[in-house]
Amino acid sequence: MALSGMRGLSVFISDIRNCPNKEQERLRVDKELGNIRTRFKNEKGLSPYEKKKYVWKMLYIYMLGYDVDFGHMEAVSLISAPKYPEKQVGYIVTSCLLNENHDFLRLAINTVRNDIIGRNETFQCLALTMVGNIGGREFAESLAPDVQKLIISSSCRPLVRKKAALCLLRLYRKNPDVVNVDGWADRMAQLLDERDLGVLTSSMSLLVALVSNNHEAYWSCLPKCVKILERLARNQDVPQEYTYYGIPSPWLQVKTMRALQYFPTVEDPNTRRSLFEVLQRILMGTDVVKNVNKNNASHAVLFEALALVMHLDAEKEMMSQCIALLGKFIAVREPNIRYLGLENMTRMLMVTDVHDIIKRHQAQIITSLKDPDISIRRRALDLLYGMCDVSNAKDIVEELLQYLSTADFAMREELSLKAAILAEKFAPDLSWYVDVILQLIDKAGDFVSDDIWFRVVQFVTNNEDLQPYAAAKAREYLDKPAIHETMVKVSAYLLGEYSHLLARRPGCSPKEIFSIIHEKLPTVSMSTVAILLSTYAKILMHTQPADPELQNQIWTIFNKYESCIEVEIQQRAVEYFALSRKGVALMDILAEMPKFPERQSSLIKKAEDVEVDTAEQSAIKLRAQQQQTSTALVVADQSSANGTSPVNQLGLVKVPSMSSSVDHNSTDPGMAQPNGTLTKVDPQPQPPSPSPSPDLLGDLLGPLAIEGPPVAGESEQNVVSGLEGVAAVDAAAIVPVTVQTNAVEPIGNIAERFHALCLKDSGVLYEDPYVQIGIKAEWRGHHGRLVLFLGNKNTSPLFSVQALILPPSHLKMELSLVPETIPPRAQVQCPLEVMNLRPSRDVAVLDFSYKFNTNMVNVKLRLPAVLNKFLQPITVSAEEFFPQWRSLSGPPLKLQEVVRGVRPMPLLEMANLFNSCHLIVCPGLDPNPNNLVASTTFYSESTRAMLCLTRIETDPADRTQLRMTVASGDPTLTFELKEFIKEQLVSIPTAPRPPAPAPAAPSNDPGAMLAGLL
Amino acid sequence: MIKSVMVMNTQGKPRLAKFYDFQPVEKQQELIRSVFGVLCGRADNVSNFVEADSIFGPGTRLVYKHFATLYFVFIFDSSENELAMLDLIQVFVETLDKCFKNLHTILDEIIFGGQVLETSSIEVIKAVEEISKLESASNAIALVSKSVSGWRSR
Repeated sequence: MALSGMRGLSVFISDIRNCPNKEQERLRVDKELGNIRTRFKNEKGLSPYEKKKYVWKMLYIYMLGYDVDFGHMEAVSLISAPKYPEKQVGYIVTSCLLNENHDFLRLAINTVRNDIIGRNETFQCLALTMVGNIGGREFAESLAPDVQKLIISSSCRPLVRKKAALCLLRLYRKNPDVVNVDGWADRMAQLLDERDLGVLTSSMSLLVALVSNNHEAYWSCLPKCVKILERLARNQDVPQEYTYYGIPSPWLQVKTMRALQYFPTVEDPNTRRSLFEVLQRILMGTDVVKNVNKNNASHAVLFEALALVMHLDAEKEMMSQCIALLGKFIAVREPNIRYLGLENMTRMLMVTDVHDIIKRHQAQIITSLKDPDISIRRRALDLLYGMCDVSNAKDIVEELLQYLSTADFAMREELSLKAAILAEKFAPDLSWYVDVILQLIDKAGDFVSDDIWFRVVQFVTNNEDLQPYAAAKAREYLDKPAIHETMVKVSAYLLGEYSHLLARRPGCSPKEIFSIIHEKLPTVSMSTVAILLSTYAKILMHTQPADPELQNQIWTIFNKYESCIEVEIQQRAVEYFALSRKGVALMDILAEMPKFPERQSSLIKKAEDVEVDTAEQSAIKLRAQQQQTSTALVVADQSSANGTSPVNQLGLVKVPSMSSSVDHNSTDPGMAQPNGTLTKVDPQPQPPSPSPSPDLLGDLLGPLAIEGPPVAGESEQNVVSGLEGVAAVDAAAIVPVTVQTNAVEPIGNIAERFHALCLKDSGVLYEDPYVQIGIKAEWRGHHGRLVLFLGNKNTSPLFSVQALILPPSHLKMELSLVPETIPPRAQVQCPLEVMNLRPSRDVAVLDFSYKFNTNMVNVKLRLPAVLNKFLQPITVSAEEFFPQWRSLSGPPLKLQEVVRGVRPMPLLEMANLFNSCHLIVCPGLDPNPNNLVASTTFYSESTRAMLCLTRIETDPADRTQLRMTVASGDPTLTFELKEFIKEQLVSIPTAPRPPAPAPAAPSNDPGAMLAGLL
Repeated sequence: MIKSVMVMNTQGKPRLAKFYDFQPVEKQQELIRSVFGVLCGRADNVSNFVEADSIFGPGTRLVYKHFATLYFVFIFDSSENELAMLDLIQVFVETLDKCFKNLHTILDEIIFGGQVLETSSIEVIKAVEEISKLESASNAIALVSKSVSGWRSR
């Protein structure tokens, strides 16, 4: 950092470093923050130098881990300073402190753009770095064209161009639309002709991102990548500074091979031949040498080459050569190479026909289980697990068992689960399986889940041959001095069932069996006691003729447990005691367990689920995850939810569980009528909506479980009914007293009930021990009629009942009179008239309160009068669809967006989801089976009936992303509908952002594109 | 993509931390702590790789290098080559060896928004020197103008 000439800052840093403890450091930081805050307050007296100094201090404090929540404006304003030091500080601090959704960034866009298109290279670099580090969607939309120009500009130095390439990559990740495939593919190919290796490395990173999304458009880049590899592998024209420990830019080699892995095959025979020549050269020409760094670099290239060979599905000869190499690696001294060798061998398992070659290295892999490094041990375990089959299961599982006693605790659980799964999957004979599981329980009982011992019992029960063997084994384990409780359970169960099969063996008389099991009783938990009691009953049953001494012993125990506090044990004791007095009749009642029905092992099922998860670690999936983490920024914007500007209205709806975070200020006070006092704000004549017929109520009364008043203790809980957190805080501002005193808990999940009601028209909206609110709705055009059913579940009346509707600005709502008292066990109906004025995704809220005893209960519930309720399905034919689709040619009437982080679902399920939202899927309109076209009519007062068309293009290879195009005759409607669909498809709420009326104007016409596609 | 770069001493004090996905401050501190928790238990002769799934989510990898009293840690996803990342740490360290100043500027010249920008330490130093020249030049100007204005006010 530019600390020179800033004494204050140096002093501050050394002060902090000299602080003896965290407390003092905090004091010093607080003092400095106070100082900076006051200096910033009277900003006029601040010279740029001082401003710079304070902003540096802020950054330092921030990096120490303290929150710096002011001074952002000062940091941003430094960006426009004319001199380099100030500008640099501004850029660096801004990119550290602010995230991409910060409002202040918008203020800087122009300055940043001027720096990018300006002549000063250093300024260009600063601006590009900042955009590349935080650039969000808005930056993407306004800056991408300029950045593209910089990359291909011939007058720019490589220093600027390589930054521009990575900057574009960042912007592309935020908004893939910024790179227009048609125009860019050729330029991308040209870029790969570049001689400067720095620019080439950056361009290659950009290419990797582009091809991972759409390799078809970039075919022309493939031969160029191979050329680059040839150039590097032959060390032609590679400047000294790009040779790292004698290896020509390993990074570029690695990136290039990574890019090649995104192309499905290499078709052109010449290119393929040259590529394999290069790969061969890499595979053969790499040796383990003394220098660690050189080793690392050369093996980085080598491992990437191996990955590429696997991808290209090379001839078997080359594959076995690869495995031979890997076999060499897992035995070398260098731990990094051992690690990667094992990892890549595991990956190699996916290639067919090579298992046998891999198995040759089994001994070495088993040795790696004892490696001093846990990272390597884990890899070895994975590989052993993956390569296990019937032929080597015995060896591998026995190794795992042996290793179990010395393995670190962090690994034992995984290890025992894997051993159990392998034993079950590949057991050559069942007695071996029983051995393995019993050993497993003996060595790592804590890590053996119930599933595992249940499974053993099932096997033994279903295989008669196995029973004496298993019983004998169980008996052996009981002789051990200290055994795990799970072992007590298994052996007690097995001996109870099958010990009579051993009767002739020494030490296996019923009495002896009983006493050795009974020894364990004082040390075990209640659940095991229950099993032991059953075992005793079984032993009694098998001892015919009865042995009076044993009988008395056991009866004493049953008697003792008849008063056990645990109901299960009490019941068993009482029942077994009574049954065992029945003598021979006991034989019928306590007969041997019947065979279990064959079923899939829950273990194997579990393992399969896990395998599906780990096998699919594609780069694309990871990107989807990144996408998700960045949308977690919602929190940062939540404060704006209380804002008054209409801009925020859209953001509002999307806060999860926000039943009460209604924008208070935007609500027309005339609309919020307590108890439905009728006001004539509505000049529109209400349509004659029929009152719901009585039998409609029948099914709603059904779920109204009328019960006595709940236990009083419950009402003492000071829980705010399902509206904790943000919502409660917001609500407090509206009704300060009542919410605090809420003392009832809702039954069921309020949010889930709401979401269910969004897709259907009747059901329960809310329920607690006292009250149930049901809803029945009818929708016609832009009018709707909801009936609220308020039911009192108690034997005493509910007083002070109040229902207040807080409608969003786009809905007119009128609630009829709500009685102040609801008699015991009665239900009242309150019709609610709704009229939709214009498209919006905001939701109405019902503020409902009542008094029970002295408790005031208040809840705020979202009403399911949502956008899709005003949609009416309509099916259109191809003749109607295409003219409409073409006539709505682009933003703002037709909007397109690539949605990521979509809940993966099959196409059929997606179609059902659309249908349930009243967007009717029109099959056959789109020839591509992976696409969906849906149509609907939206009704509101401002738009009247308006046709809406939607097209979803999914990617069968990646279900987490799709491209969505929405078109209608009204810009707001298009935007709202698009966001609405997105909310339905994405499982997490997206970050609220202002309703940009027009997103990036795509230079190609989507209408024409679709026409071309169809 | 590289997700984060951390430099911390063997006591776990962060000396430099950069996150290429936005992380709130508390989260950053928590991540640094958990990384240190894993690293401090590892001996010297083991590999440079640690599974970081439990800290950073599935599919993330962590590569570190231990020099004297410092840990250099890179965290990245499966789109990067582990050994190449290790090499990059080496480049970073070698560059720091040659000119230990402007830590941030150096890192910014090597990694850009989570991607490898430059791998030649010579090129990096060239760029950094250019920047520091600019800095000192403008500082000098600032000083002169200040002294001039001071002189005037006298």
